[in-house]
Amino acid sequence: MKNKDIYRQLEVRPQRRLQFRGIAVAMAGLALVSWMGQGWAQGWAQGRPPELENSPLAPHAGRLTVTPPDQIPVDRIQLPPGFKVEIWAHGMPGARMMTRGDKGTIFVGTRQIGRVYAVSDNGNTRTHRIITEGHTQPNGVAFRNGSLYVAAINKVMRFDGVEDKLDSVPAPKDLTKDFGLPSDGHHGWKFLAFGPDGKLYVPVGAPCNRCEVHPDVHANIRRYNPDGTGMEIVARGVRNSVGFDFHPNTGELWFTDNDADWLSEHGPQCELNRVSQPGENFGFPRCHGHGIIDPEFGTSGSCDGVTLPAALMGGHTAPLGMRFYTGNMFPEEYRGSMFIARRGSWNRTVNVGFDVVLGQLSADGKRAAISPFMTGFLDTAQNTFWGRPVDVLVMPDGALLVSDDHNGAIYRITYEG
Amino acid sequence: MRVRTAAKRCIFGLTLITGIFPASAAEALDDGAALEAKISACASCHGSDGNSAREGIPSLAGQPEKFLVDQLILIREGVRRSELMRPFVRGFDDATIIAIAEHFASMPARPAEGSPNPELFARGRALVQSGHCGGCHLPDYSGRAQIPRIAGQREDYLAATLMAYRDGRILRPDTTMNNVMHGAADDEIRALAHFLAYATVTH
Repeated sequence: MKNKDIYRQLEVRPQRRLQFRGIAVAMAGLALVSWMGQGWAQGWAQGRPPELENSPLAPHAGRLTVTPPDQIPVDRIQLPPGFKVEIWAHGMPGARMMTRGDKGTIFVGTRQIGRVYAVSDNGNTRTHRIITEGHTQPNGVAFRNGSLYVAAINKVMRFDGVEDKLDSVPAPKDLTKDFGLPSDGHHGWKFLAFGPDGKLYVPVGAPCNRCEVHPDVHANIRRYNPDGTGMEIVARGVRNSVGFDFHPNTGELWFTDNDADWLSEHGPQCELNRVSQPGENFGFPRCHGHGIIDPEFGTSGSCDGVTLPAALMGGHTAPLGMRFYTGNMFPEEYRGSMFIARRGSWNRTVNVGFDVVLGQLSADGKRAAISPFMTGFLDTAQNTFWGRPVDVLVMPDGALLVSDDHNGAIYRITYEG
Repeated sequence: MRVRTAAKRCIFGLTLITGIFPASAAEALDDGAALEAKISACASCHGSDGNSAREGIPSLAGQPEKFLVDQLILIREGVRRSELMRPFVRGFDDATIIAIAEHFASMPARPAEGSPNPELFARGRALVQSGHCGGCHLPDYSGRAQIPRIAGQREDYLAATLMAYRDGRILRPDTTMNNVMHGAADDEIRALAHFLAYATVTH
């Protein structure tokens, strides 16, 4: 009942906001300070406590210019014995989410720079093209039946037969209206993946750090028929997922989720989650991490009925792209495990993340144990970083690609024993 | 939109009166032009020392280099939409953009000339402090990395930009400024802009 009341309030909220705004404007002449500090801030600074109002913590700025390969210190990357890493492709500022076409093209989404890249492998070298540009954070890319799907804010596009036309990609089919996604800038960038059911899975993040949301609109993961029909919400209470994959045997959806900022230096911890039935609730905004009740939006019992994470990913570490390892190149213990890219923290004084971790399933397949796999991007003594892993992709030969949006590069990890 | 109109007027005026602009513009649009020609095309509107004397045209002097690089690239890519600026930067490679940014970042920013209106200045200072603008823009409002210098920026440009943020006419990947400005009244924004334009600049 309590929830219902909240959502009833939400329905009238736009009107109330206008009234408040009218009052604020009317009173502006009377008060010296009429609007600031009234809690309107909904960007990344939202939820910042008064004692940290002058904190210099802010999201790290990405690099939008080309980083030459000789300025990428790939020799600092550390991997378990027997593994090797090389720079596989470079010169693509902001390179983030990856998907592979049927003919072997790797398509790469970006956020700020607004491009989608296509990387072609010519054997010993790779070339890349910008196949579409000028979009608002075209982060989500997925490939199916010869077509590339790209999701930006707020735009969904389908490029048919794209691998045969990489030099001159025709205008895409615009599916924006068919998908009808919200247009919010905050947490509005998308990840895309096709499930084993042939549906296109799309996350819709909360448009805030912490706030009330309408559960049918925000903070969920949805699936659609590829044409945008048949929308169904498969996970609720998901603050901001920017990466997921499907268990190669059970088909279950596993996803990463970025937890709240400003509640503390250490947490609540970011999450790796498993969806066992459609519509399951993962807690946002009332219940965070491993069962931390939100001090503002939660009450006792707010974690009842909430599915807690399959693994805790560390506070503010930003786990993004994740995939199950379905290849044969890596040793036995990696097969059926997950690789998870952690882009690294901004909302804590001591940097954490900036790595790729391994998630090994428990015997019952419900939980995962997290251990380091690809490290060396972070200098813990200096509290600085030189690279930020965003996504991982398993190649047909079993090698693992890792994208780094700070250097605009894709690394290739192989196992040679 | 006021900014764009003003900028167009600036270029149109320059074209009519001096005839300087088309020549430098044509040179700047030539990818093979010398860096100096490109910089002088920028300076023809933004001021030879990077401090703009023209209505609606922002000062570039003393801006963080990263901020200038990012904005030039976003304009080049058509992500930050500017019909006026894009023809100039469309052909610039990253190295040119970095060199232009270095040039203007290294020039000293000057506060507005003349003396501020004491009442408006005091009100603006109180708003800037209560709004914690210095958390991101630094306590002297000189900016850092991707966050712009706001101290010494043109008052009309600041006011127009803050109103555009408030009204959702500027939308960037970082929505913080839209939300910080949400609900701000015009006269509050005018006070903010007035204070910042006259704020003492230490570089």
